[in-house]
Amino acid sequence: MSDTLTRSGRTSSRLVALASAVLLVTFIPLFYLVIRAAEKPVGAIADLLLRPRTVEIVATTAIILVAVVLINVLLGTLIAAGIHFVRLPYAHLLIIPMILPLAIPSYVFTYTWIALVPDLSGVVAAIFILVLTTLPYMMLSIVIALRRLDSGLIEVARTLGLSKTAILFRVVTPQIKGAISAGSLLSGLYVLSDFGAVSLLNVTTLTVSIQNLFKSTYDRSGAAIMALVLVAASTVFIALESGLKRRQANESASRRTGTKHLRISNSSARISLLVLVSAYTFVGVIAPISVLLSRFFSNSAPIQWAELFSAGLSAVSIAAAGAGLALLFSIPLGALVAQGSSRFALFSEKAVLVSHALPGVVIGLALVSLGSKLGPLYQSVALLAFAYAILFLAKSVAAMNYSLQLISPSVKEAAATLGKSKGEIARTITFPIAFPSIALGTLLVFLTAMKELPATLMLRPIGMETLATQVWSYAAVSKFNEAAPYALLLIIIAAVPTFLLSLPREALDRPRNSVRDLQLGESR
Amino acid sequence: MTSLEVSHLDVKFGNRKVISDLSFSLSSGEIASLLGPSGCGKTTLLRAIAGLLTPSGGTIRLGTQLVGLSSLSLAPHKRSTGYVPQQGALFPHLNVARNIAFGIDKKKFSRSQIESRTFEMLELIGMSGYEQVMPTELSGGQQTRVALARALAIKPKMVLLDEPFSALDAHLRNELRADVIALLRSLGATAILVTHDREEALVASDKVFLMRDGAIAQYGSPEDVYENPTSPEIAVSTGDAMILPARQSMDGTVSYPLNTIVNNAAGSKGYVVIRPEEIVVSQQSSVGMKAKLLALDYFGHDAMLTFSLAHTSDLIKVRVAGHAGYLVGETLSLSHEGPIRFFKE
Repeated sequence: MSDTLTRSGRTSSRLVALASAVLLVTFIPLFYLVIRAAEKPVGAIADLLLRPRTVEIVATTAIILVAVVLINVLLGTLIAAGIHFVRLPYAHLLIIPMILPLAIPSYVFTYTWIALVPDLSGVVAAIFILVLTTLPYMMLSIVIALRRLDSGLIEVARTLGLSKTAILFRVVTPQIKGAISAGSLLSGLYVLSDFGAVSLLNVTTLTVSIQNLFKSTYDRSGAAIMALVLVAASTVFIALESGLKRRQANESASRRTGTKHLRISNSSARISLLVLVSAYTFVGVIAPISVLLSRFFSNSAPIQWAELFSAGLSAVSIAAAGAGLALLFSIPLGALVAQGSSRFALFSEKAVLVSHALPGVVIGLALVSLGSKLGPLYQSVALLAFAYAILFLAKSVAAMNYSLQLISPSVKEAAATLGKSKGEIARTITFPIAFPSIALGTLLVFLTAMKELPATLMLRPIGMETLATQVWSYAAVSKFNEAAPYALLLIIIAAVPTFLLSLPREALDRPRNSVRDLQLGESR
Repeated sequence: MTSLEVSHLDVKFGNRKVISDLSFSLSSGEIASLLGPSGCGKTTLLRAIAGLLTPSGGTIRLGTQLVGLSSLSLAPHKRSTGYVPQQGALFPHLNVARNIAFGIDKKKFSRSQIESRTFEMLELIGMSGYEQVMPTELSGGQQTRVALARALAIKPKMVLLDEPFSALDAHLRNELRADVIALLRSLGATAILVTHDREEALVASDKVFLMRDGAIAQYGSPEDVYENPTSPEIAVSTGDAMILPARQSMDGTVSYPLNTIVNNAAGSKGYVVIRPEEIVVSQQSSVGMKAKLLALDYFGHDAMLTFSLAHTSDLIKVRVAGHAGYLVGETLSLSHEGPIRFFKE
């Protein structure tokens, strides 16, 4: 009989080994960059870092970052608060045109706007395009926070004699600070890692300079040093945000949502809201889509259907492989966190967060440099899929953790006392309950990977094109008509489903549980 | 079902001892309550018996089978303890029938046997016809019933109930508790009920274990622990009680505010424990001590009267049936008719 007494360990050592292996693999690119950078003598590193050009590049990046985040905070808060508080018929539908731009990657925005305004370039243009691209993240984040506000707090504040304005500043604002900071993180990381928009607008940010150093001079060590500067910048940004978050008070456990006591119904507020929303809808939705459509239909040359099809197929298959790999990687990490908060689990959570700070350009550069040592893997589809897996690991792990948290520990304990072994519990309880949201998370990673540009540019096998690379290549040489079919196909098969899937239901109607925690990803 | 024997059990969370050197035993068919404040270790003890956590020392025996020995432990799924967690923890993705059938061994029993066992369980808990209903569509009481049926379906060696009624409102709780206890008795189940409700512990069980800081402070039949507490603190934990200053003289007589003026009495210092229902109120001034009625809390079926005595600052609480027509402010006589429980200081 197998009823033997056993010593039960806290965390299975096999799981720890697997998770460590995944983390190690994830950090190979970063380790390699450090090694590569260290090949240069210290003096040369200092020279590179301190030369005026570097200072200029870092300053440009910082200016764009700060400007985009500040404008996002301002516009995002105004529009979100407007949509939430201003009394208008069908006001909740106003949010739809405001988040539709989530479906359009920055390089498609840039290309359509250059097609409209041929002289568009420079820092101000980059700020404009990146605000267009990232404003929805900020707005969505704030709108959701507003919908989740505890109406009890507002009612209490009313009975304590506070005016509506006082409530806005003393009760509402403190509660949405967290959402503003989360929105800043998402849009800031997008800006830091963006390559498509700035390169098309001839602005040299860190990502562009890395690509240039890599391409023009084959100065891999120099590129590696600049890449580490970029990683440092992203890490600082993440640390700043999580520092802010820590100071946030915990949400109250029991709450009723709704803020109907604070509705604003004066006409100047209504008109300003409508003007703001229409303006953004025009520049963010109507203009780009109409350019794409008109360029598509006015194209005199016949469309290269075979090329279009093969680019679509490559994009889909590599992204699928990448998402599958990310899913595999996230299983041990998610299982580790689900088992309880051991010290190693906490460490792995942090480590995964750091991988969030690795932009596509950095992963691309590291793997290209490493790839030449890997022989047949160099410029292979497998290496590109691996790059996607690392790039979107944080997203995949977030989906995994979210899914596994859906199962309360007491349910698993009940199953154990009913005679089910760990394996049987995984099969009959954990998997059936977690499967739908894990699948959804993986689908989102897949769709995001399809839109990825910089790593794809650096790592794709010679002669192979994806939808993203085709849009960028044609747009870079001003062949706007030729780019249009690729951009449209990309939006139809990747971006629109992403938008629909990641749309938190609560943003559209009554507050409800949703897959919000899975989404708000980005395509760079 | 089987007996249970726990001896010298230690449980540590990190370096903190949650249970230390705890021993008790239950005979087959006995229903016991674990009563104690939150944080005293009662849920931890239950989880150790179920195998959901591993003790750091001691032994646990289910019947003749050793299931825990120091830090060695039989996995929970091999113990066959019917565990009913707080709020049921039903499997959210399975309907009622599948929840109940979940633990029945699919290799040992045919499909029709499993179906008839499930049906039998549904009848037992009075929920026939609910086979296809999903857990989220059930009320709190129904969820608890299904969780119990699910635990009983595997014919467990004993049943462990972790505050199963705590989430229910008072009326439903009493009714469901009576049903569940009657059901467990009819099955001859050995069971442990964890609770922090003192009335629940007294009404439901053959034995009450009073837990304090990871140890059993006292145990016995409900009457015994209620009538003969081993300390004033325990007396309070099983029901309303007053702790009054007292003196015990050499010959054993105890003076306390209801029979004499304590300050003048000689003897060793201590306390007496008196329950509010042990005091008789009378309007005749010839018997007992005079006391002024300060407050009357009316509960319907009974009322709690609060008195002050002339010679002490201690307030006296008296429970009387109904309203009894007393007026706040009037002076009445109190006499104590019950055991004198004296505890030395």
